This record gives sequence, C-alpha cells and structure tokens, in this order.
Amino acid sequence: MIDDQDIIIVDEPELTATERLYLPQIIDGMRTTLRHMFKKTITLQYPEQKREQRIENYRGVHRLNRDEEGRVACVACFMCQTACPAHCIHIVGTESPWDDREKYPLQFDIDELRCIYCGMCEEACPVDAIELTPEYDLVGRTRDEMILDKEKLLEVFDRTVALKPRKNPKISGYAGTGDRDGCQSAGGGQ
Amino acid sequence: MAKITIDNKQFECRDGISVLQAALDAGKNIPHYCYHPGLSVVASCRLCLMEMQMPHPKTQEMGWAPKLFPSCQTPVKEGMIVRFDSDAVRDNQKSCMEYFLIDHPLDCPVCDQAGECHLQDYSYEFGSSESRMVEQKHVTPKKDIGPKTLLYSDRCVMCTRCVRFTQEVSGTHELCVTNRGSRNEIDVFPGLPLDNPMQGNVVDLCPVGCLLDKDFLFKQRVWFLKSADSICPGCSTGCAIRVDQNEETVYRLKPRYNPDVNDWWMCDEGRFGSKYIHDPKRIASPHLRRGLERESANWEDLPEVVRYRFEQHVSLRGGDKVAVVLSPMMACEEAWLLIKFIRGVAPEATIATGFIPTDGEVQHFPAGCDAASAKFTIRPEKCPNRRGVEMIAEQAGGTTCDFDTFVTSAAGGAFSAAWIVGGYPSDWVSKEFGKAAAKFDLLVVQDMFENALTKLASVLLPACAWVERDGSFVNHAGKIQPFERAIRAPDGANRDGQYLFEIAGFEGVYSAERVRATMAMETAAFGEVLEAPLKPAHQH
Repeated sequence: MIDDQDIIIVDEPELTATERLYLPQIIDGMRTTLRHMFKKTITLQYPEQKREQRIENYRGVHRLNRDEEGRVACVACFMCQTACPAHCIHIVGTESPWDDREKYPLQFDIDELRCIYCGMCEEACPVDAIELTPEYDLVGRTRDEMILDKEKLLEVFDRTVALKPRKNPKISGYAGTGDRDGCQSAGGGQ
Repeated sequence: MAKITIDNKQFECRDGISVLQAALDAGKNIPHYCYHPGLSVVASCRLCLMEMQMPHPKTQEMGWAPKLFPSCQTPVKEGMIVRFDSDAVRDNQKSCMEYFLIDHPLDCPVCDQAGECHLQDYSYEFGSSESRMVEQKHVTPKKDIGPKTLLYSDRCVMCTRCVRFTQEVSGTHELCVTNRGSRNEIDVFPGLPLDNPMQGNVVDLCPVGCLLDKDFLFKQRVWFLKSADSICPGCSTGCAIRVDQNEETVYRLKPRYNPDVNDWWMCDEGRFGSKYIHDPKRIASPHLRRGLERESANWEDLPEVVRYRFEQHVSLRGGDKVAVVLSPMMACEEAWLLIKFIRGVAPEATIATGFIPTDGEVQHFPAGCDAASAKFTIRPEKCPNRRGVEMIAEQAGGTTCDFDTFVTSAAGGAFSAAWIVGGYPSDWVSKEFGKAAAKFDLLVVQDMFENALTKLASVLLPACAWVERDGSFVNHAGKIQPFERAIRAPDGANRDGQYLFEIAGFEGVYSAERVRATMAMETAAFGEVLEAPLKPAHQH
C-alpha cells in the first residue's frame, strides 16, 4: 500500500484564452515542418539507395573464415558458444581429418534470429575464425532458413572477404598438439 | 588426534596422515600434483612444499628451518608448527609452475581437460601470467597407448600418478617412465597396451590433460556438463559415481570417493557400459493389448486399467494364481511400491526375485591378490540390487521364491497372471521362460527393450534406465545407497517410480526420499542410507 502522504495530486493547468484557440500552436508546428522541407534530407530511399558501409566495426551477419588452404579455420574450441549471451551458437566438434590440427567443427550452426549481434563470439575466438561482417540485409522465408550452418557461414566469408579481409589470417598454437614434427606454440605468453 | 598449527591456526587432525592431507582437510588450497591419498607418496612435484619450525641445532631454540619440506611426505606430529603462508613457499610455487609450463603447448582451447585442469587452476592461482621461456619448446608426441586412452605427453607434468596406479591399484604394470631429466615421458612397453579392466581411472587421476578418454574425446566442453550423484548399476559392488550430462545426453560417468565401497575408483565396464541408455530402440511408451492388437495407452488412464484388470482376474481365478517378479535392476522404492499394489489386489500372490545376470569371475585388484587385500573388486553379478529386492520380498512375507523356481512352476501352469519386471540392457528371456510366459492370461511386462516377453504382454510398460530414475540400491555387502536422477525419461516414457507410485494408489509426484521414509516405518534398515562422504574441496 502507498501512504496518502506520499501521493501528490497534480491538477491540470488551466488553459489561457490563446491556448484554447489552438491556432498559435498549429502555426508553430507548421513553421517547423516548413523549415525542414527546405533543409538537406538525411533519410535514404532504402533499398534503392544504400548507406555507405562501415567495414571495420559493423556487426552484421557472421562468417566463418577459411585458412590459406581454404579449409574452415575454426578449431571447435566452443569459446564462442560459451561466450554467447543469446545461446545461438551450436557446435559439434570432432577429430580433424588434417594432420596440422586436433579438432574441427563437424557442424556449426548460428541462429541469426536469436543472435543479438553483440560480437562476443568474435572477441572470444582464439583463432579469429568467426567474424561479424558489414552485411546486414539478411532475409529468409522461414525460421529454419535463418539458422546458418557451416557451409552457409563459409559462403558469407567468400562473399565478404574482398570487402573485409581476415584480421589475423595466420593460425598457430593450436596446430601441432602432440605432433613431434608439428609447429611450435605461438609466442611466449602463457 | 594430533593438534598441529598451520598458518598460525590450530587444527586437530587424524593421526598418521600427512601435513598436506591435514591442510586439505582443513579446507586450505595447497597445490599438489603427485600426491593422491589412494597412491604411495613420491614427493616429486615439489608444489606442496612448506616451512616448518625446528629446534636450532646449537641453541635448541625453535625457529623456521631454512629449507622447505614436502608436506605430502611429512607425517603430522603433536605440536607441529608449519606455514604455507610465507614468501618462500609462494616463491617456490611460482617457480614450480613456471617449470611445469616451460614445454606446455598451451592448447587449452582444444584440450578436453580445460575447465577442470589443475595446470590452469594452479597457474592462475599460484603461477605468473607470463613465461620467460624464449627457447624452442621441446615437443613430445601424442601416443595411442591403449584401446580406450590417449596420452598427450606434451601436456604431462610427470606426477606419475598413472604409473603408480597401474603398479599399486590395478597391479598390471603397463605404464612406465622412459628417458631421463627433461626428456622424461610416460609410455607403455612395446606390444603391451594399457588395457586392463580399471584403466579408465588413470584419466581421472591425471591432474592435467595428458591422459584422455577416447570415448569422451572432443564430445563436450566440461563446463557445459551438469552432474548428478549416482550409483553404478554395472555389478553388485555398487560404486559411487557421478553422471555428467548436458541437454539430456549422458556424456560420461566418473567415480565418486566412497571409502566404504569403491574408494576413488570404478571399472571400465561400469564407466563405458551404459551406452544403451541412448539406444533409439528402447521402449518409450506404454502399450495395452486389446484382443490381438497392441495399442499405445496414455499414462492418465493406466493405473485404473491395470488395477481393474488385476482385480477382475483375482475375482475370477483367485489371488494365489498371481505372481510378481522383482528385477534386481529396480530400485528398492519401486519394488516396494509394486509389492504394495500386488498385495493390495491379491494378498496371496507369489513374490519372485528376478533373473540375476552373471558374467565371468570375481576380479580382485591389484591383479592376482585375494579378497582380503583387494583394493577394488569387480563382481560377476551384473545387477545392482539383488540384495535390495530380496530384502523387500522378505519383508513383504507370504510366498516368495527365486527366479528358477518361478520359471519351473510357471511352466507347470501354477500362475495365470504375472507382473514381470525386466529393465536389463540385453535380451534376458530364455526359451523356457518365453514358453512358460505364454501360459499367462494377464501379463504385465516392464522392460527396456523388445524381447519374447514384451511380445506376449497384455500391458507393456517402459522401464527407464537408472539415470532417469531415483531411488536406492543395496549392494553386495548390504549397504543401502541412494542415487539421484540425472536426465529425464525419453519422450513418451514416465519414470518407473512415478507410474508405480500412481498404480500403488498414491497421488502426486513420486519422491524416492519420501517413499523411503514410509518404508523405514516397516523396515528400520531403510531409515539409514549410506551417503558417500564429501572429499576435501581442494583435493583432486
């Protein structure tokens, strides 16, 4: 219950004679409208006209990067899935068919409808395999179509790589685990 | 009880234990790799070193000795004064961690141990955030050391727990340390892979990601797993285990510490033998036979239908023609509920204990030792609860018999109605039993997989795997151990306890604990169950 002493009753202000006429207010409003009619327009006629794309930091549709040999760069470490606040990433990891890597994603699904485009996955990725692209006009007829699988995410990479090249293309450190002749761990950091 | 002082605080501790164990018992987080209470002490990792007060050799005055002592190797003594909270101890821990990580590949993102790795934990807590190593790392190979285990020797910290396990607990001596100094490696002998019935424990013992299960490899990241305390149904030993699941899929079973039953260990058969719980061929919904047709039933009407059929049968043929077979795969609570129902409709009914699956001989470990000196035993009785259902049948009184007698008298036409509980992972119905079962007019079968019996059933109920139920098992030594539900029953099925609860005439949600409390009023034994003790928080 709210105490009576906490309630303040506010009366509606009395309108003056000019205010009751409404005309001054209408004229005032029309003046603002007219002023904007002669200013430079800031809206765009989307989709005929499109805004200049921000390449570097735009958080649009995800892509899965390919390495130099065209294979998926992801090592299925599940860091993005762990970091994702919307739980929209689903990975199935398995032993990789390549000698230079332990693990790779058999399945990699992102539910683009569930995603909140926060970019945490990109931050979490230790091999820069997942990135958000400047692409924002993602459409689909069904909900299923909006769940992008590994192939579709790699297609996004192929589509956008010319526009936005891979940040740190070289992966190392997760490669030669347990391999006598394999490459050494990256850097000296722990 | 010795009184010792750790970091200016007095603690009472058990006699004969090490200072490290006393500190862990007191809740202190003392880093250690090589020390494990179930294995001999080697004091090789040097992480648990402490400072100790000693009398000065000349003046006999008590003071901190200049040298550090391994706390795992120093037994507690009345009046002892030690400290871990000093610069010398912390510097030692830091330097040790730096050495452990010199050749480490730092492949945590693809390492299965990440998340429960003591290299990660200790490096974070006691190590430094940077490595000063500028030389090339010495990379040791990944080895396939056995049919179920991989050894990533580049992640190894040479604690030799796994080697000591094969020497002292399994007694099979497969693992050894090869080479010397910084070239130390764990290895197997050529042509002798790590393949013994207890080898899975080396993976649990490994404090880092060096030894990994092939079965669990790359399946899940450990931080996604949710655990439930359970009891292994693999044999009558009844090891305390932990069921790790994510999104209703069981990924692995791990042993829990229970000094009265299994210590720290479990066998591979129990660890890897329960893949049947996710078999798509499992019976997942109840069925009723009307004439020749078998149709699926719904759970709401079922208790009434079953009760009606039994009551009608008893009024036509008499209650002594009714028999119930209690499976040793059932929990005690479920068996008790079933008896309650049967005794309610037919007080003269015969109670038989079910088929006991057996396989092989008793296996004591270390290999070749006798029962008295055994550290771990695998029993040939491949069911968890024979003692339990026998106890329930005995307490119910009236006519009871064993399974073989039941089959013989059923073949002779002694019974016309039966409730038979299965729930075994494999086909258990013998030809003779199948033939005898054809004589029943009313047959309720509770089973997991289709077999000769389920085809004859007038009422077929799905039996759930133990991870989907809760209750208690009584092991070979008569210890009553409760287990929790880890995952939900498959779609369409209902856990056994719930439908038996409803059939027995109770209302509401089944809770094993509440049923056990009711049972305890009749049999005092069920009032006290054996709960595995919690091990010290920082022991691993």
